Amino acid sequence: MIEAFRVGAVSRNGTLWDGLDLAFDDGEVSVVTGPPASGKTLLLKILRGDRRPDAGDVVVGGESLYRGNPGAARAFQAMSGVIPESFPPAGGHAVRDLFRLSSVAGAGISSKERKEREEELLSMVGLHGAQDAGLSSLSVSERARIALAVELFRGPKVLFADMLLHNAGEEWAEMLRGLFRALAREGKTVLLAERAIPGRWISRGIGEGTPAGPFLLYRLAAKGDVPR
Amino acid sequence: MTGPSLLWIDWKLSPKAMVRETAWRFCLLFLTGLFLASLLLSGGMNRFLSEQWAVTAILRLQVPPAEGEGIAKKAAGLAGARTAVYKDPEASWKEFLSAYPGLSALRTTGGNPLPGYVEVRMRPGRFTEADIGAVEAALRPLPQVERVLSGGEVLPRLMRVRDGVNAILWAGFALLCTVVFSIFLLLEKSRAFFLAADFDFLRERGVPVRSIVISRASGALLAGLFLSLAVTGASALLLFLLEDRLPLLGRVIGPLEELLTPSLLVPAALFLVAVALLSGAASPLGWRAAQSRPK
Repeated sequence: MIEAFRVGAVSRNGTLWDGLDLAFDDGEVSVVTGPPASGKTLLLKILRGDRRPDAGDVVVGGESLYRGNPGAARAFQAMSGVIPESFPPAGGHAVRDLFRLSSVAGAGISSKERKEREEELLSMVGLHGAQDAGLSSLSVSERARIALAVELFRGPKVLFADMLLHNAGEEWAEMLRGLFRALAREGKTVLLAERAIPGRWISRGIGEGTPAGPFLLYRLAAKGDVPR
Repeated sequence: MTGPSLLWIDWKLSPKAMVRETAWRFCLLFLTGLFLASLLLSGGMNRFLSEQWAVTAILRLQVPPAEGEGIAKKAAGLAGARTAVYKDPEASWKEFLSAYPGLSALRTTGGNPLPGYVEVRMRPGRFTEADIGAVEAALRPLPQVERVLSGGEVLPRLMRVRDGVNAILWAGFALLCTVVFSIFLLLEKSRAFFLAADFDFLRERGVPVRSIVISRASGALLAGLFLSLAVTGASALLLFLLEDRLPLLGRVIGPLEELLTPSLLVPAALFLVAVALLSGAASPLGWRAAQSRPK
């Protein structure tokens, strides 16, 4: 479980938000929405132990990421995946290189296993056979889906995704929703940061978001939910 | 995250560039290894001079060949001597005639006018004024010896020239080592910069930066050791092949059987260790330089 207590963040233009209390249970899919420059990316960084908050603390599984054992944040990052808003910044790579890099981060993945999972994950995100494609030749949507596949490759327990739905495009929203629900059923936590909820999700009755500072928090799925 | 999976991380992330870089490193180290092996075998100018220079004990005319042989044997046993050869009066006369072909008439009047002599050549490592003086001092008091020729006043000047040339050669080697290390450092720096985004990717996924740095340095150290072993073998092989084809090379660097003597094996082992350590050190230094460079 990820819990943020009285978390605050300050930017160059002043206080972004303060006294934010958030909780994300295991096997839960949540979407945090907020206007541009409201600090969504910063919130994700704080929640995954990558940037110390200016106030408050983040606790994962009962252990503080910032005030306790310095290895706690690293251990949490090792079992989580992160999809940045602009992905990937890494060199002039091909898709295969990203999987190789991901396999280095998730030590113990054999070369054979890597190839099989590459195939499987790329097919799942609609990019079958794209292993040799250069990243610079891909569209924003394709890159976002590649980034998702690369992170799922290591089987993270928690997935942080910044603007993934926006970048992947509206046509992939339903597929991603199904995928996230499946991940939730496996007990994995997914946390998305978006400017807005996809229109299709609203029309299918996702409900009103819960206000939290400048953000609205939507709970998309939980571990015990029955698939519809 | 386990250590070994990061050991060859640069090879995993950038295999083609690493192969190219390793080829360059091999060439640079090969040049350095060849230079070092030649310097060690030749002792700079020592071997060449010891081949050219001899201490000559001219014997008296009546000295029989058996005594000449005995003196040569005694001289060969001296500490600084590498070889001592007795040349009888007949051999002396032949050498004289080959040098001065028109003077054969000298012999017709009263037989061979030339005495026999003993020619002593010094060991390359003992080609010093003191050792030459010791050989001279051992031969001069013998009743069979007429006079000893050892270069006289020219020798100190020659020694100074030799010392100067040897110093220049070793300074050249030090400069080459510095250049090679600087190139290694630049290669490491540019690679660390090129792979910076990949390392950030790993760091963001919980791989400690310290593990990356230590593993890369360990990998570079091992790669340096393997490379220096290959280079040392290749240098020795090339010298063996060239010595057969270029006799002059053999005279300058000496017999390659000496490669297996402790005086060469110890520096060769030091070379291996030094290359491995410098390769290992270049990795974190290059990393640090790349980190301080603006992205």
